[in-house]
Order: sequence, then structure tokens, then C-alpha cells
Amino acid sequence: MILMAAIELDGLTKRFGDVLAVDDLDLMVEEGEIFGFLGPNGAGKSTTIDILLDFVRPTSGTASVLGYDAQKESLQVRQRIGVLPDAYHVYDRLTGRQHMEFVVESKGADADIEAIMERTKILEAADRKAGGYSKGMRQRLVLAMALVGDPDLLILDEPATGLDPNGAREMREIIRAENDRGTTVFFSSHIMEQVEAICDRVAIINKGGLVAVDSIDGLRGSSDTTTTLEITVSNAGEDDAEMVRALGGVQSATLEGDTLRVTMSGDGSKFDVLNALDDAGVEVGDFSVDEYSLEDLFVQYTTQKQEVRA
Amino acid sequence: MSWVAVAKKDFRDASQSRALWGLVVVFVGVASLLAYAYAEFPTTIAETDEASVGGLVFFMASAVGLFVSLTAIVVCYKSIAGEREIGSIKLLLALPHTRRDVFVGKLVGRAGVLVAAVAVGLAVGYSIGFALIGTVEVVPVLVFLLLTLVFTVAYVGIVVSISATTGSTTRATTLAIGFFLLFELVWDAIPMLLVYVVNGFSLPETMPDWVYLVTQVPPSSSYVLSLIALLPDVADSVGTDSGAEEVDVFYATPELGFAILLFWLVVPLAVGYYRFDAADL
Repeated sequence: MILMAAIELDGLTKRFGDVLAVDDLDLMVEEGEIFGFLGPNGAGKSTTIDILLDFVRPTSGTASVLGYDAQKESLQVRQRIGVLPDAYHVYDRLTGRQHMEFVVESKGADADIEAIMERTKILEAADRKAGGYSKGMRQRLVLAMALVGDPDLLILDEPATGLDPNGAREMREIIRAENDRGTTVFFSSHIMEQVEAICDRVAIINKGGLVAVDSIDGLRGSSDTTTTLEITVSNAGEDDAEMVRALGGVQSATLEGDTLRVTMSGDGSKFDVLNALDDAGVEVGDFSVDEYSLEDLFVQYTTQKQEVRA
Repeated sequence: MSWVAVAKKDFRDASQSRALWGLVVVFVGVASLLAYAYAEFPTTIAETDEASVGGLVFFMASAVGLFVSLTAIVVCYKSIAGEREIGSIKLLLALPHTRRDVFVGKLVGRAGVLVAAVAVGLAVGYSIGFALIGTVEVVPVLVFLLLTLVFTVAYVGIVVSISATTGSTTRATTLAIGFFLLFELVWDAIPMLLVYVVNGFSLPETMPDWVYLVTQVPPSSSYVLSLIALLPDVADSVGTDSGAEEVDVFYATPELGFAILLFWLVVPLAVGYYRFDAADL
């Protein structure tokens, strides 16, 4: 089976007056994947999504969604997608249920409103006016609206905004469940952690342009990530340090008094180090890990890395 | 046909606005008061000897012109600009609606709200009028109601279109109030002032013909003129004059009102839709 593109951007450019919001962006999101669209605030994420939804017209280039032209065939696109937009606003005077009824009617869908609201945990507030909802409740309502009609593609713009950690986890579970049923998920975030936890592939954009597209592991592997392990040991000697240095993935191990400092590359295991010390009869007290995280990688990509590297 | 869903939602939403209900209460009060005043004191109020239903129709028309223009502004100025400003339009347009569906849906939804409000006010007003005057005349009242419906839709179209040209409610408010001030308050003075200046700072014996055309341009003037064209005998009997007889050009007829009303019904919508369709939201 040939994989079809759920989203395909080709030379996409958007200029607002003097500001180049999206700069010659090429991107392909395959059907069935969970794709993270990552970039700092103002990088052009929302503008790109706005073009996919035909809220904004590109200056040049094209965008297609599920094989339809995002501008010329926006109605077909909207029929088959579910959207959680950024900076949206609910209708204050309408209840959650009325919002859902409006979506069901608009999509001509045959949906169980209460079941969907139950899934996003907003059912108990269904008959209250949405104007009184908290930010997290509004997010749950709009996610429920996005799920109506089993869309083929979910476009989520900063979905975790306003959610507490528990809510963010539930959001991820719903995204995974939808993806398991074959829905492609495209979501944007400015926080690497959210993307890392769930995405098959990630695009990082900055200043309207693409700086990296890869899987999470690919991103990790492509950078010189190192982890530094600091272990408090009470009875270790230089021979123990020597033994640790021989372990796979370990680059260096130095003993300074009661502290053993170990640096390792991405494929090393800190548990191997701890187990080896334990086997050698070393008493391990506290230990701390300073991981070169994807967050650091993200920062590296989205600040002037040329200068940093030079 | 997805504009139906938009219109229904919009009607539901707008009809829960407290401001609207306040206006309905005010209009019911005003219409009742006008009907009462006209029926009890026709000589003082309307300079006519005897109260008649036809007289009440024309007497009410000017109040309706003012009420409809003001309520249309209150009910519609945020209709599209407001949704763009706060971002609820993103929820609307993420669903399978085209911008035309949204535009038409807004127009129909808000027109429904306003027509309902005007209908309630007029029903109460005429009931009081019929009771006090003691006669019931269906035809002039029905004609009046139908024309008022058209006029209301035209005004809703004007304000929704103004709202569709911008994503800022401040700007929409300025434009809508500016429209009202220009066309409903100061308009009549403009041709006079022009003639006065052109004529060397004095008014001529007779006004140039074009002044008649220009003074009929405001929506509410075209509404009253159309009413005269539809009910010439009633207008005649109550002494309401279109002023057309004194001007000797082909367009100086009450039917001019239809043409101008049609203009207001069509042109603002075309401009508003064109601007909305082309905009980055």
C-alpha cells in the first residue's frame, strides 16, 4: 500500500506586510502517524495551521490536506478533519451540549454526544453555559467537538494549553486511542516534552522555516547528546572507576573523593553503571543525572546554533 | 445548506443577549406609547383631525425607522467582527462551512432575531392602536409589516456587512455608528449645505432637482418613500407627502424608494461578502 500524505506543504510562504511568517516550507505528514509540529512562540506554527484550515491564504506555495487543496477544497477538508484551534473562544451563552449539537449538525454526523463528552471528561458540565467554563474545561469541550464524526485527521494547535498534568496525560491517551483507530494526528507545541512523549515524527520550525524533521530517536541520535551521572560512593577505588570506564557507552569515569562522575553517550545505560558498581560491592548513595535532553536540542535548533558551534 | 446550522446557532446565541431583550422591552414600550398618543391626541401629535389606522401606520413608520436602525447596530455590529476578534470564528470555520455559509447564516440568524423583536413591538403597538381607534384595517397594516420586514433585513445586511469588513469590534462600532450618524442624522443637511455653498452662500428660490434624489438615499428615507408608493391613498388621506410632485424629473416618484431600498439590500452585502471572503482571519 502506498502511503498517502495526510498533509503536504510545498514551498508554502506567507507574508503579513513586512513580516515573513512562513518561509518556503516543505513538509509531508504521512497518513496514520502522530506528527509533532514544534517551534518557539512566533515561529509560524499557527500561521501554517491557519493555512491548512483556510483561515489564512498563502502568499505562495500550496498546502494539501488529505489529498484536497487546503484553499480551493476547504469544505472537503473540513468535513474530514477535527480541529482544536489555537486562541479560539467558545460561545459564552451556549451550553457545552449546544456546542456539540452544532458540530453534529454542521458535520451531518451520526454521533453519540454524551459518549464523546464522557471521553473528554466534560459530560458533567454539558448543560452549563460554556462562558462559565475554566480554560481546561473549554479545552476538553473543544477536543470533544474535534472528535465528532470520527475524523481522518486531527489538527491540534497547542492542545495541552490550560490543562493540568493529569489533563495533559488524558489528552495524550485520547490522541493515542484515536491514532490506534487510524486517525492521523498533527499537533503543534512549543514544549518539547509534550511532543517527545507521543510523536512518531517531529518537525522543528523557527522563524517560519523548517530546521529539522525526524523521529524522536533520529533527533536524539543526530546530536551529540551526553548524559552526566554523579554518584555518591562510600568505598570506591580507582579500580572501580576503571571497571566503569570499560562499560559500553561510557566515555569517562573519574573519582573525586566520594563522588564518581560518569559521562556517557546516548546508547549507554545508567542502570548498567549502577548495577556494575553494586556487583563490585560499592555502596551507592545518592546519584544525580544531568541528561542532555531534547529540550536542550530544541533550544540548540531554535537559537543561532551556527554561532554556538563556531 | 450548512448556513442553516450557522443561522440556528447564531439565533440561539444572539437571542440570549440581555441587550436585545432590553431593546425589545423598550420597543414594546415605545410602540405602545406611540399608538396610545396617536389614538388619543391625533391633533397635537400628528396634526390630523381624526385618528385612523392608516394614520397610525405612517406615524409608526418613522419610529420604526429609528428603532430598526439602532437595534440593527446593537444586534449586528459584532456579528462577524466579534467572532474574528475573540477567535470563536475558528470553531465555526473549522467545521464544514464555507465563508459564504457563515456570512449568510449570520445574516439570516440576526435578521430572524431582529424581525422577531420588531414583530413583537408592532403587534403590541397595533393591538393597542386598534383597540383605541376602534377599527381594524388589515391591508395597510399587512403592507406596512411586509415592507418593514424588508427594511429590517436590509439594515441587518448593512450592519452585518460592516462587521464583515473588519476583525476589530472597535472598528466595526466606529463604522456602524458613523453610518448611522451620516445617513440617519446629518444626511439631509449635506445637500442643503452643498447648495448653499455652491450658490454663493445663500439658498436659491428652488432647490436643484438632484437634491430630491440625494435626500431619499438614507435607508429609512427609502423605507418611508416605499411605504408611500405602496399605500398612496392612505398616504394622501393622512397628509403624508413624498414631495415628489414638486420636482419635475422622471425619477421624482415614490417608486424611487424601491430602487434605493433594493440598493441597500444588495450592495452592502456584496461588498461585505467580498471583503470577508478575501480576508486573512
